[in-house]
Amino acid sequence: MFTQLTLLATTTAAPAQDAGIAGTVKDIATNFKILPELFIPQVISFLLVAFLLKKFAFGPIQTMLEQRKQRIADGEAKLKQIEKQLAESAQHTAEVIAKANADAKRMIEEAKASASSLTEQKAQEAIATAQNIIAKAEAAAQAERAQIAADLKREFGRLVATTAQQATGGKLTADQQRAINEESLARVQA
Amino acid sequence: MAAGAGHDHLPVHAEELFRVGPIAISNSMLMVWIVAAVIILVAQLATRNIALIPSGLQNFVEWLVESLYNFLEGILGTHLVKKTFWFFGTIFVLILFTNWFGLIPGVGTIGQFDPAGFDGDSHDTFRPFLRGGNADLNMTLAMSISFALLWFYWAISENGLVGFFKHIFAPKGKFSGIMAVMMLVVFGFVGLLELVSIIFRPVALSFRLFGNIFAGETTLETMTAITGKWYTAWLPPLPFYFMELLVGLIQALVFMLLTAVFLKLICEHSDEEGHEHH
Repeated sequence: MFTQLTLLATTTAAPAQDAGIAGTVKDIATNFKILPELFIPQVISFLLVAFLLKKFAFGPIQTMLEQRKQRIADGEAKLKQIEKQLAESAQHTAEVIAKANADAKRMIEEAKASASSLTEQKAQEAIATAQNIIAKAEAAAQAERAQIAADLKREFGRLVATTAQQATGGKLTADQQRAINEESLARVQA
Repeated sequence: MAAGAGHDHLPVHAEELFRVGPIAISNSMLMVWIVAAVIILVAQLATRNIALIPSGLQNFVEWLVESLYNFLEGILGTHLVKKTFWFFGTIFVLILFTNWFGLIPGVGTIGQFDPAGFDGDSHDTFRPFLRGGNADLNMTLAMSISFALLWFYWAISENGLVGFFKHIFAPKGKFSGIMAVMMLVVFGFVGLLELVSIIFRPVALSFRLFGNIFAGETTLETMTAITGKWYTAWLPPLPFYFMELLVGLIQALVFMLLTAVFLKLICEHSDEEGHEHH
């Protein structure tokens, strides 16, 4: 290896002194075999390889990566849209629930008010009915008492008349009987 | 025939195997084609039944390409990487696998033996069928020159011809009066230095890669021959194989990074303007 490097150094350095830069370049080209028939095919070969790698290696992979990036971006956009819709839906649901709560509260208040009014009405009706019943009962009682009083008067009169007839031996006139009855009744009523 | 029979030394240049008309096919060129074929085959196998949810080989290949793309995107920016990924991706993958394939036993050690010597050279008695692709200056120079041409094309298409020259020669910053004149002279001179640097970039790129890979192969060959016994020949080069695996990766990375940075430097201004416009 060292011999080779020494050889390389001498072959490149010595002509440089003799023929300047052009000579050095020529010697390097000779030593390293930088010849058109080797160099130009290498350039073509490299560019061909680069083209083939671009077409068959990097191309399909980059296309796939682009597709995946696009898909991820689409997915993220959809996710954001779904999140937005979800938030809107949650807000809408909250609004509906709030409205339902308010409605329910109002209905309960109304029902409460309605129930109170109905109770009052029914109570008044009941009171009226009761008063009516009491009045009827009182009227009935008064009528019954009047009836009993009339019957009693009649029976008392009859008893008084009978008793007076028996005491007088049946010699009382109609006017006398009536006078006795009225006097007896007046005393009973007093 | 195996190399042991008469392998003289590892020459600094690739050797011609055969000719197709005026085109000479060298053992390094053959190696590059084999590596390219393997890469294409693997890519085709990975993308044959391409699935949206990757697994196995597709997963690995996608990971490699995506990591490389993101890495280059960090250097070049979104706009430039879309345009140039095919080149930098090829550079990295091709150099990396060519370097690693060059370490496979048989590369550089299986070939033709002629005791009389090839091409009339009595020292050149062995001609391997395959040679590390980047251990051939023609190959590294071909990549560098291709990059240099593409660099000009991308730089001019991004900056415009006037913008390209302004980028190299025009003063950076705002000056007025005598200061502007002085800066014109200073930046004109800096531009000339930049031109020299641009001219020498392909040379530096090609010799760096070639030098590292050729030195590695020479080291491995020397270490293999150091014991002089066939049954212990595998041991001395063993640590160097691991080092060469690392060197192969680093050199691929260095070549790709430098070329990407060179492009970024010339397109930086217009790229920023492009972003501002957007």
